[in-house]
Amino acid sequence: MAILVDKNSKIMVQGITGGAGSFHTRRMLEYGTNIVGGTSPGKGGQSVEGKPVFDSVEECVRETGADTSVVFLPARFVREAAIESIRAGIHFIVVVPEHIPIHDMLKIRQEAVKHKCTVLGGNTAGIISPGQANLGIMPDIAFAPGRVGTVSRSGSITYYIADTLTRSKYGESTCVGLGGDPILGSTFDEILWMFEQDKETKAVVMTGEIGGVYEERACDTISKMKTPVIAMIGGIYAPPGKRMGHAGAIVEGRMGTAREKLEALTEAGAHPARTFLDIPDILRKLGV
Amino acid sequence: MRLYEFEGKGLFSKYGIPIPDGKIAGSGSEAAAIAKEFGRPVVLKAQVLTGGRGKAGGIKIVDNPEQVGAVADELFAMKIKGFPVTRVLVEPRLDIAREMYLGVTIDRINYRFVVIASGEGGVDIEETAEKSPDKIARRPIEVGDQVYNFDAIAISKKLGLEMSHFKAAAPIIRGLYRLFVEYDAKMAEINPLVLTSGGKLLAADSRISLDDDAVFRHPDLAEMGIEKRHEEGEMTPREEQATEWGIPYLDLDGSIGMFPGGAGFGIMGNDFIHYYGGKPANFMDSGGGPSPERLARMLVLLDENPGVKAIFGARFGGISRCDDFAKGVTMFLKDHGLSKPMVCRMTGNMWQEGVRLFDEAKKENPELFANFEFHGIETPIEEIAKRAVALAEQAKGGN
Repeated sequence: MAILVDKNSKIMVQGITGGAGSFHTRRMLEYGTNIVGGTSPGKGGQSVEGKPVFDSVEECVRETGADTSVVFLPARFVREAAIESIRAGIHFIVVVPEHIPIHDMLKIRQEAVKHKCTVLGGNTAGIISPGQANLGIMPDIAFAPGRVGTVSRSGSITYYIADTLTRSKYGESTCVGLGGDPILGSTFDEILWMFEQDKETKAVVMTGEIGGVYEERACDTISKMKTPVIAMIGGIYAPPGKRMGHAGAIVEGRMGTAREKLEALTEAGAHPARTFLDIPDILRKLGV
Repeated sequence: MRLYEFEGKGLFSKYGIPIPDGKIAGSGSEAAAIAKEFGRPVVLKAQVLTGGRGKAGGIKIVDNPEQVGAVADELFAMKIKGFPVTRVLVEPRLDIAREMYLGVTIDRINYRFVVIASGEGGVDIEETAEKSPDKIARRPIEVGDQVYNFDAIAISKKLGLEMSHFKAAAPIIRGLYRLFVEYDAKMAEINPLVLTSGGKLLAADSRISLDDDAVFRHPDLAEMGIEKRHEEGEMTPREEQATEWGIPYLDLDGSIGMFPGGAGFGIMGNDFIHYYGGKPANFMDSGGGPSPERLARMLVLLDENPGVKAIFGARFGGISRCDDFAKGVTMFLKDHGLSKPMVCRMTGNMWQEGVRLFDEAKKENPELFANFEFHGIETPIEEIAKRAVALAEQAKGGN
């Protein structure tokens, strides 16, 4: 089992004929991901890696039965692309590009909620259910099928955690990248609740970072979960008031310091980890 | 992208929000000439992209027109939180009866906009929010919706205005919201919104922050002279160099040069170094899919920093590929040379090719790799961090 994607998902790629789109379509297919086609307006009728290209999502859905979309388009086209997918009945969208205009992301979220669609990103490395489907840009080498779920804002952190879980033989059920942009299509609490309902997921590792508001939003959900949650927050030693990389990672006044986030999550029942190597130790103690 | 006060006020005007008369001066003598034109006591306001300007002495009221030039010169000599003052806004002094606060921003938790109003303006709104939250009204507006008349009435009452002022207040409230939406703002504030003793409402200050990622939609901003700008205050020479190269970089005061991948591990890797008893010399973010040239430049920044005693490298190739990583590091070793001990872990997409490139280059020029210690996926990143701390300690001991 897994959340959001598995071997039965019918996946399409928006921007499949572009450089990044075609490169990662090949990688995803090599992993065994069930890619059924893609779109590129004006290039309908062509094919990429043997998969049909359509002018619109509507046509792609009609011809292939696609239910999931990965977006590899320049940021300025994402609003249109996501809303097109949502209205064509796609129920899960992965937005890989970064720097999506904030107001666009708010609009996408509004449409997604209205149509019960889940959106990841912008600026996400994607999502992988090891052994079943790899959507986005995550490197296969880190992952192996297993029983721990992960959810993180950062791609590289997801790789390090999966790498640690893989070597310690826990493996992963699904690894979810929320994305590094300041406004995200999905939040920690929503993904955590999906893991809670997945029978194969025996524990979840969530990693957040300094800045923003999304980690705090998870507290209420964690306190209601039976599945144990391990929490890690980056930026414990970050100098306050400085911008560190991710657009989201700016401390806003007194809000969003890493220590406060970790304290709040721990209070809600999460088990704090300092380094990746702490994670298998905690899992062992929890009897996972 | 933060706007200067005068730029924000320009946008206010466009949306029918009344502002005081005012002109920009680039020198003391210009300020004096403008004040003379007004023929009244003036206020001189340093134009800088930071809050706390008033407390830092960046706003001066000058009653005697003879003194305007000299006072303005004082402002031009100032640096406010690292920002040099190059422009001063000269406005006739207002006769203020009341100061209020009006702002529009994004409620990121609930994915909507929110209009914020308070009858107490002119001060830091975060402070008011903390000390007396009841004095602040938050009016949520769903994305794509408008400010209705009933919204405006509620906001206007929270500003403490009588209904007799509503006819003047409503266009200000609606105008600010429209400006916020149409220019893709992250925040638009009038603080203070002033009621003059003559009963007029004026936006006495502006604080607007636009979304950098949406500037492409607003070519008219460039026509108004509003372009992407540098928003950090004082920078170290290395930070300036990094900015010039387009690399997000911060100097810190430790001894371990941080050469991580993306921002996520860039932030967390700094914590790891602290956990193992070391201190990072910097924060850096390679960005997604860095070119070999960019990676080489990142290493130049670290190698030339005398504070750096050892370098900690990490690459987990996702969108950034290990072959490019190996090319960048090798380019740096050949063209610049590594003068500090460096320990590095590389795995992820294209790692086999990365290892091959390293092996090949090392065979050709083993001496270039003398200070370079390389690990693959078999070594946990925590061990690499510990090793970097140990190398820095050794290097310090040797000095």
